[in-house]
Amino acid sequence: MIDFALRTLPFLWDGLLVTLHVSAVVLVVSLVLGVAAGVGFAYGPLWVRAPLRLCSDVLRGTPLLVLIFCVYYLLPFAGLNLQPFPAAVIALSAFKAAHVAEIARGAISSIAPGQSDAGKAIGLTFAQRLAWVVFPQALRRFLPPWVNSVTDTVKGSSLVSLVGIVDLMLAAQQVIGRTYEPLPVYVLAALMYFAINYALSVASRRLEARFAYIRE
Amino acid sequence: MTERNDNDAAARRDFLRLSGVGAAVAAGVAATATLSAQQAAAQAPAGSTLRTVLNRGKLVVGTGSTNAPWHFEDDKGQLTGMDIAVARILARGLFDDPSKVEFVRQEPAARIPNITTGKVDIVIQFMTMSPARAQLVNFSRPYYIEGVALLTSSRGKLKTHKELVDAGRSARASVLQNVDADKLVAKALPSATVLQLDTQANVIQALDSGRVDAAVVDLSTVGWLVKRNPDKYLDSGFHYETMLYGAAMRQGDLDWSRFVDTCLNVNMHGHQTDMYDRALDEFFGAKPPRRTPGFPNI
Repeated sequence: MIDFALRTLPFLWDGLLVTLHVSAVVLVVSLVLGVAAGVGFAYGPLWVRAPLRLCSDVLRGTPLLVLIFCVYYLLPFAGLNLQPFPAAVIALSAFKAAHVAEIARGAISSIAPGQSDAGKAIGLTFAQRLAWVVFPQALRRFLPPWVNSVTDTVKGSSLVSLVGIVDLMLAAQQVIGRTYEPLPVYVLAALMYFAINYALSVASRRLEARFAYIRE
Repeated sequence: MTERNDNDAAARRDFLRLSGVGAAVAAGVAATATLSAQQAAAQAPAGSTLRTVLNRGKLVVGTGSTNAPWHFEDDKGQLTGMDIAVARILARGLFDDPSKVEFVRQEPAARIPNITTGKVDIVIQFMTMSPARAQLVNFSRPYYIEGVALLTSSRGKLKTHKELVDAGRSARASVLQNVDADKLVAKALPSATVLQLDTQANVIQALDSGRVDAAVVDLSTVGWLVKRNPDKYLDSGFHYETMLYGAAMRQGDLDWSRFVDTCLNVNMHGHQTDMYDRALDEFFGAKPPRRTPGFPNI
């Protein structure tokens, strides 16, 4: 059993790296897009909010798998034939960005308007009010749900195997296809996913403790 | 007059410009002619996948990586199997070099979409030829005739086909999710309870873990597994159904289809049967019938 696991590890390791790669790219892209959209939700005029609302609802209301297949199989009909990796990353990022936007919107609008008004009263510009007054307070409300969505991203990245990217999931399937021994391989893969996500939640607890200094 | 002179001048300029374009076109044609003498690529009709593949210098094949003995990774992580061998046979036919293949790994469900959206030149992935599918893609000639068999466990209660049939409704059988999968099981075990699963490995895992009494899998899989683990698995002894396995390509490209057929015919019946025969032996332990000159019995 241990021997089998040792022989399997190199194959799963390559898949693990791909899973981490996909997750990291999606994380960064969705964070940037999501926070920008969240600010748009909280402060934008109607012509900004309405399309954002439409995009966010459509993206969040579509199963991730359907979204991946849409980008991979429907865009070619519009003349955009993407390779599996960019197609999967675009679909995952769009899906995740919609979630991050809602988390950001909630965090920002939970800060009492008086805070912003006070900033205005001492002559801070909009950007300064965001940077020095609203964001620091919103951050600690943003972090816990965002870390949840990060672990979801890592787990959701296993769907990229369906367009032929050899991530941890497909690497496991390939070893099973050769050896016909699914159980130890699935256990090994589950342990790897758990290791990533446990590390993430430990890091997030540290992060939350670090930003818990603000008292209300 | 001035106006007319201007017009004349313009006409002259246009004429000169046109002849310039003509010269360029002529040079282009000449260059193409020279190229065609140098490489066979230009002989293939424009717009055909055959031309695209030859110009690209490698064949892009859609296939899987999780089903032995058809397409799977060996101990070194290299794709191997009967489907992979057929891809290499085509690469040898195209480039005199079996290694000039790029494999795009895909789920069985992606076989037809990846052809129709142009992601791959050809799909070689244990694809059963059917009239319904032939309405969507062009099939090559068959390169194998698959059958269905019942894999049983040496630790299980029901081992032979007769025992499974006699058990009636209490016999449980796992099968790969597919069109008509229920009917397929019913032909061998009319009243068995059917469990449809997503991958071949899970179909067999269901047998290993005692969730089913028989795994309804391809004959080739039964042969491959029983050969590798004779004390773990048994062949229930009942083989049925014939299914033609062919490679699939996009429709409306007869030159490409004809090339693939010709290449397969030569490799299965002609003067280049070495790769096909080696694969047949390696993955199914089978030998092709003796090939006799004379009447073309293909």
